[in-house]
Amino acid sequence: MKKKLLAILLVAAMILATLAGCGKKDGTTTTSTDKKGGAAATEDLTFNITVWVPELAVELTKKQIEDFNNTNADGIKFNPTIEAVSEADSATTMITDVESGADIFFFAQDQAVRLIQSGALSKLGVQAAESVSAANASGVVSACKLGDDMYAYPLTADNGYFMYYDKSVIPESDIDSMEALIADCEKAGRTFCMETDTSAWYLAGFFFGTGCVSEWAPDLSSINDTFNSDKGLIAAKGLYKLQTSTAHVSSSQGAEFDSAVPAAIVVSGTWDYNNVEAILGDNMGVADLPSFEVDGQSYHIGSFNGCKLLGVKPQTDAARGASLHKLAQYLVSEEAQLERFNELAWGPANTNAQNSDAVKANPGLSALLEQAPYSVPQGTIHGSWWDIGKVIATDVGESDGSDAGLKAALQKYEDTIAALFNMSTDEKEAFSVIGSIAGDGWSVDIPMTRSAEVGNFWYTDAIKLTAGEEFKVRQGASWDVNFGADGSLNGPNVVVENDGYYFIKLAVNDDTTEGIITLEKNSYVNGWTVIGTVSGSNWDADFEMEIQDDGTTFKSVDKFDMTAGTEFKVRQGHNWDVSYGNGNDNYVVDADGSYTVVFDSTTGTITLE
Amino acid sequence: MSKNTNKPGLGMSAKRKISDTVIYIVLILMSIIWLTPFVCIVLQSFRVENTWQVGYVIPKVWGLDNYKNILSTDFVKWYSNTFIMACFVSVLQTIIVLCMSYTLSRFRFRMRKPLMKFMLVLGLFPGMLTMIILYRVLKDLGLTMENAVPGLILVYIASSGMGYYISKGFFDTIPISLDEAARVDGANRLQVLITMIAPLSKSIIIYTLLNGFMGPWADFIFAKYISFNTSAGMNVAVGLNSWLSKDMIATRYTMFCAGGVLVAIPVTLLFMFFQKYYVAGVTNGSVKG
Repeated sequence: MKKKLLAILLVAAMILATLAGCGKKDGTTTTSTDKKGGAAATEDLTFNITVWVPELAVELTKKQIEDFNNTNADGIKFNPTIEAVSEADSATTMITDVESGADIFFFAQDQAVRLIQSGALSKLGVQAAESVSAANASGVVSACKLGDDMYAYPLTADNGYFMYYDKSVIPESDIDSMEALIADCEKAGRTFCMETDTSAWYLAGFFFGTGCVSEWAPDLSSINDTFNSDKGLIAAKGLYKLQTSTAHVSSSQGAEFDSAVPAAIVVSGTWDYNNVEAILGDNMGVADLPSFEVDGQSYHIGSFNGCKLLGVKPQTDAARGASLHKLAQYLVSEEAQLERFNELAWGPANTNAQNSDAVKANPGLSALLEQAPYSVPQGTIHGSWWDIGKVIATDVGESDGSDAGLKAALQKYEDTIAALFNMSTDEKEAFSVIGSIAGDGWSVDIPMTRSAEVGNFWYTDAIKLTAGEEFKVRQGASWDVNFGADGSLNGPNVVVENDGYYFIKLAVNDDTTEGIITLEKNSYVNGWTVIGTVSGSNWDADFEMEIQDDGTTFKSVDKFDMTAGTEFKVRQGHNWDVSYGNGNDNYVVDADGSYTVVFDSTTGTITLE
Repeated sequence: MSKNTNKPGLGMSAKRKISDTVIYIVLILMSIIWLTPFVCIVLQSFRVENTWQVGYVIPKVWGLDNYKNILSTDFVKWYSNTFIMACFVSVLQTIIVLCMSYTLSRFRFRMRKPLMKFMLVLGLFPGMLTMIILYRVLKDLGLTMENAVPGLILVYIASSGMGYYISKGFFDTIPISLDEAARVDGANRLQVLITMIAPLSKSIIIYTLLNGFMGPWADFIFAKYISFNTSAGMNVAVGLNSWLSKDMIATRYTMFCAGGVLVAIPVTLLFMFFQKYYVAGVTNGSVKG
């Protein structure tokens, strides 16, 4: 009895201990719900807020918010919880759950449209918008806008790229000429790093340099792209020189200066400044990008320039929202931007700050400023453009360098983009197979056809697959919706296990969140079946056939016990549009026996085995 | 045997030597391939001349700076979060699994078989499918973000009863007459489980404890969602991952390696001490149920 009591007591103690743990944490939960603003908070203008900034900026932001608390005239007090969240992560996480997201967060400008669409950014008031627009560089301001409305505050204008070089290898006199630089690198056995093969962001610099444009409408419904033009051909010729140099390495890591075959030149941005300085020390040189020469004329390589923005999440409590916007204005003020420049070397977007002596004296930022006349503000860009664009470098590098070869690479780029728009709704909804199959390397979409079955099933024609080949199924020839081996969105590639001819089948659910891919030996769309008075049926059941290893012969899966006089036909796609028997007539069995039906789809002849 | 050795040409022992050599070469190659990343991480964690990725493996300057520095970051918080979760999960999960499997092994009740089948089928669904709804539920309970630790403990132990197979298989091999003898002597069911069955199932219990302990160290996806960018609620995997962003990696890469080594320590230690039970646990339970 005592033991029982003891056991009960112990259990009770355990439960209490667990609950106590929760209790403590529940305390913090209550304060965190307070964050959303209660009636009490509005009166004294004290708010608990969450702020997401990159780790480097955590301390400084904390200090700046304190400064704001101490200096603002309205008596607003913020108790910030500052989390270290990279700009790349903040937008993605905001979108998954805006309600739980931070009240103020830093993000990269290319995320702006996504964030606006998911309701994660609150609009600036007219006055705020005017004063912010007036104080900051126009390129950055336009990145904050969708239409005429302004949704974000400019933080920096330093997301661009320029050239780091090793002064011990590269003579000062050569830094303006790409050809001279390549020759220096090749001679010294060092590398020239520019991430052209895997990043359209860097690659596009060549095309901007010759005056090409690639601009998306804000709603991504159209593009004005002149990469495939005479100017584009010049750019491709310049790119060809770099791609075919033995010194070229497609990388943008400052650490390349310290790698096994060290770099002499790395094209990268301000974020690498401290690393490169630590590696090269006094030998570090910084310059704007060089020019390349085609047909006696020289073209300065252009670049994208981008910026970091600050967003304020929409609030249910008006006073809280207004206070947050005041804080945001303070955080992007000239003073705050200069502070960020001094402590973190973030290049300011504020025009006064940009023109200050300190900023002008910073080598990385001054290289960016030198590069600025050749740079193009990075607007909203369709997600698939990065994939389409980066292929140019490989295609150009692998071409023979002739005008025709280079034009072919550009034509392919233009065709792929055109294919994005010229798709009908049906095409956008249609699925296709893409992969390292049928002699292709992830560049050609193999169409699938929706079958007449109940449900959402898609089939390819019969394809010869080899073990080890990989593929995926995607919708509308874009990667927005794609399925792989585990049936989930963005799943891993399907790997073919056995050689043979297959119909690739996709069973997708209605909201296209799950798609099961299987390799079939028959297809409901254009595979063949046996139908007739076989196996006790009376022209009312289709019996499956399987494609054979020659890719054209189909054999029935079952052996049928047939008596003489049994009639049947072999039909395609479970309908009577195409069917074969004995010519157009039914096939009539001569003698009793157990037969496999063999059908040669090229000739339409049936044999019994 | 003796006949063979008398024959000219390769004798049995020579053949064995050759095949052994080949096998050992293959095994050594495989272990080199398999161990290289781990060795690299350990070596990088002692590199102090710089903090970014470099093109060589052996540090030029050795030191413990990375380990010292990492103690002043949030890593300590992430580590203790994960450790707390691991302890809770291993204990709670073991209790649940033992009760579950004892019940399924010893009791005969209606729907027992269908229940087992149902759990088997349920277990076949990938756990990730429940992520969105779990996030909503935990958020409404206030168990996300800085309170992610209790939330994640709930997530990890919630379905642990379904992992009863191995221990039920083992319990089935313990003669039921032992239970009966104890019952005749006046023990109740709990006493039977604790005093009779548990000592006999040490290996299974330790196996379950170890499994439960390891889970939280490796989880990323649930932990990432439920901690929702809040440092105080992250586990080591999510926290360390946040150091790999473009602007952080150059200053945090070697610390990241040091963190990886620290994470490996408790799991490695546990395995070294309990390895024999672990193997015994897996093989014992595999007797047909």
